Amino acid sequence: MQRFLAKRAVSSAVSLILLVIAVFFLSRLTGDPTDLYLPVDASAEARENFRVLHGLDQPLIWQFLDYLRDLVRLDFGDSIRRARPALEVVTEAFAWTLQLALITMAIVSGAAITLGALAAFNLGGIFDRIATFFSLIGASAPDFWVAIVAITVFSVGLGWLPTSGTGTVWHWILPVSVLFIRPFGLILQVVRGSMITALGSPYVKTARAKGAGPRAVIFVHALRNAMLPVLTVIGDQAAALLNGAVVVETIFGFPGVGKLMIDSILQRDFSVVLAAIMVTAFAIFVMNILIDLAYAALDPRIRY
Amino acid sequence: MDMRIALLCGAAVSCLGLPAFAADTDVTIVLNEELETLEPCMASQSNIGRVLLQNISETMTELDPANGELMPRLATSWEETDDATWRFHLREGVAFSDGSAFDAEDVKHSIERTLSDQLTCEIGAKYFGGMTITPTVVDAHTIDISSDPAQPILPLLMSTLTIVPAEAPMEFTRDPVGTGPYELTEYNVGQDIILARRDGYWGDAPAVTKATYVFRSDDAVRAAMVQTGEADIAPLISQTDATNKATDFAYPNSETTYLRIDSNIPPLDDIRVRQALNMAVDREAFLGTLIPEDAQIATHMTVPSTLGADEDLAVPAYDPEGAKKLLEEAKADGVPVDTEILLLGRLGNFPNVTEVMEALQAMFADAGFNVKLQMVEVAEWIKYYSKPFAAGETPALVQAMHDNNRGDPVFSMYFKYACEGLQSGICDEELDADIAAATGTPGDGRAEAWRKAFARAHDLSADVFLFHMVGFSRVSERLDFTPTIATNSELQLSQIGFK
Repeated sequence: MQRFLAKRAVSSAVSLILLVIAVFFLSRLTGDPTDLYLPVDASAEARENFRVLHGLDQPLIWQFLDYLRDLVRLDFGDSIRRARPALEVVTEAFAWTLQLALITMAIVSGAAITLGALAAFNLGGIFDRIATFFSLIGASAPDFWVAIVAITVFSVGLGWLPTSGTGTVWHWILPVSVLFIRPFGLILQVVRGSMITALGSPYVKTARAKGAGPRAVIFVHALRNAMLPVLTVIGDQAAALLNGAVVVETIFGFPGVGKLMIDSILQRDFSVVLAAIMVTAFAIFVMNILIDLAYAALDPRIRY
Repeated sequence: MDMRIALLCGAAVSCLGLPAFAADTDVTIVLNEELETLEPCMASQSNIGRVLLQNISETMTELDPANGELMPRLATSWEETDDATWRFHLREGVAFSDGSAFDAEDVKHSIERTLSDQLTCEIGAKYFGGMTITPTVVDAHTIDISSDPAQPILPLLMSTLTIVPAEAPMEFTRDPVGTGPYELTEYNVGQDIILARRDGYWGDAPAVTKATYVFRSDDAVRAAMVQTGEADIAPLISQTDATNKATDFAYPNSETTYLRIDSNIPPLDDIRVRQALNMAVDREAFLGTLIPEDAQIATHMTVPSTLGADEDLAVPAYDPEGAKKLLEEAKADGVPVDTEILLLGRLGNFPNVTEVMEALQAMFADAGFNVKLQMVEVAEWIKYYSKPFAAGETPALVQAMHDNNRGDPVFSMYFKYACEGLQSGICDEELDADIAAATGTPGDGRAEAWRKAFARAHDLSADVFLFHMVGFSRVSERLDFTPTIATNSELQLSQIGFK
């Protein structure tokens, strides 16, 4: 196990280094932040001062070497726009994204696995048809449209929930619900398909022949074996949320890392862009390790 | 048992985090983006200004948006002691929110800090570029400020410069200290900023006791928040959301949209071609369709309330046939009028900008121009807008929107029209002389001097003026507050009352 983790860490570190190099140089190709930071009427002297102050007057390779030197000390540099450490800016935003992703994925996974398994057990029945219909709609509904409609109905129309923000538990209901819909539809479909295969397998028939009830057949015998492809999809969906739910963050005023990354790219705030990429890449690396460990826990044939 | 149930209910409600009790005199303001910094020397940025300007950080003088006059704030009076020096008499009995007393050393430090090359302050870069400012403390409540070159409008410039204590460090702060009627009490990054009315303010106590600023990027959400009572003011909403006459206000936002003509490059160096461009645009057709009906057709680079604006100046009437004739005349004289002209627009510059640019392209084509439209994002657009122009030898019309809410054309005319102006597409000796003369003219003659410069730029058809724009705000019906041209850059809590 330790050897497996070490191998994964090394391969991820190589990927991260290549990512840093690519993002550093590609982001510099998009232009000089001076023009975006200073007012358009700023004098040439003010522009030059700005470049000197932020090291933008140095050759690109020197800027890169400086960046690498600082990175070794876990210093990601300062945000030009916010005048404070980029890592601080990113971790503040990432904490919000992480909470949003964890809550959403916990609810989505629980609901999709339970309902997907029940749909497969009642294949072709009314419950299966309803679940399939709504999961397909959910998987294809655009986030921004669902979010605006939800605000219009539940906040403006009915006055049940706040429109946006983060202050109370009530504030989380609409964003989590909007984020819930798409992964719920996808995961439910995968659970259903995987369970149909598992329920038709010889070991399930044997369990039924031995007199196992529906609950034991679904949750003890079939579901565990059907979970491997489901875990992969849950991992994909969780990675997408960890990268930032930009639409939901923008509409509901959630100060997450997705919107921060988009804003920083548009503002050429390079330190924040790189820090955000590194932090989310690290989080996804950790999540992939956890999924690998979950594979081993579910299937005794898998050993690292 | 009942008591236990009541306690459990109470605990549950607390866990759900229902909003705390808010006083009737508290307000919530929803801004369109989170503040990147709370640094007073960056208060010329719209949202930073809306939180800080005259709420936490005050200025020496203050511009009255209603009449363009300069009012005292931290300076009670000022006079010119020689061509290049102004003496300011400071208000006594003023204290900063940290308890320290306000005096001339604070003003001196604020000027030096704002103009320092150790910081990149937007106020310094925007209003004090190309000049040297030297503050000299005369006594605790008197300061002389000299400028090189001489600045007849130095008191106006001081309406932009925020005053910080002499102890403020030479680095950006997140905990601003000022002399204003409010102080920062909470800054919850990503969530809100809270200001509270402070005791010991030198002026009258404002009606608003506490202001909470929250941030939402989506226009519809900001409008909905005022509608549901979650917020009291949304300074910026979209035109499509501004549907309720009781709460929604259109106000001139001091922005002017125009097409900058690169007048040094053929065929745009021929005045007939520039006049034809102006005649080809049906400005009236835009109003109430792609542009809000409250917008005004622009005739100057600055809004009509600016010093020297001439209400008799007008843009040519829509006349595509007349434009065609002018082009034919120019062609007959050998002007290459068939050359492709680049029409460059800035994505997201104002609502419907892409549709406006497409309509303009069609109007120019109808008049016989060969125009190619290109829409680019801001970082690319700036390369075309500021010198050296990225278009090079390609004739270009660059769409831009210019903001001047300071009441004096000096913040616009040099940059936009002088031969050396950073965004100037024209070079004309007479116009250069007019701008230089107006810039140096003090007192009553200044308006007339600017009027002359405006007229010269108009005669040269230096631009295709489009519109003096409007913004839309939504204000709760419980407030007594009407947005003005100043709302684009500041939002003084002391001007808000309750019905």
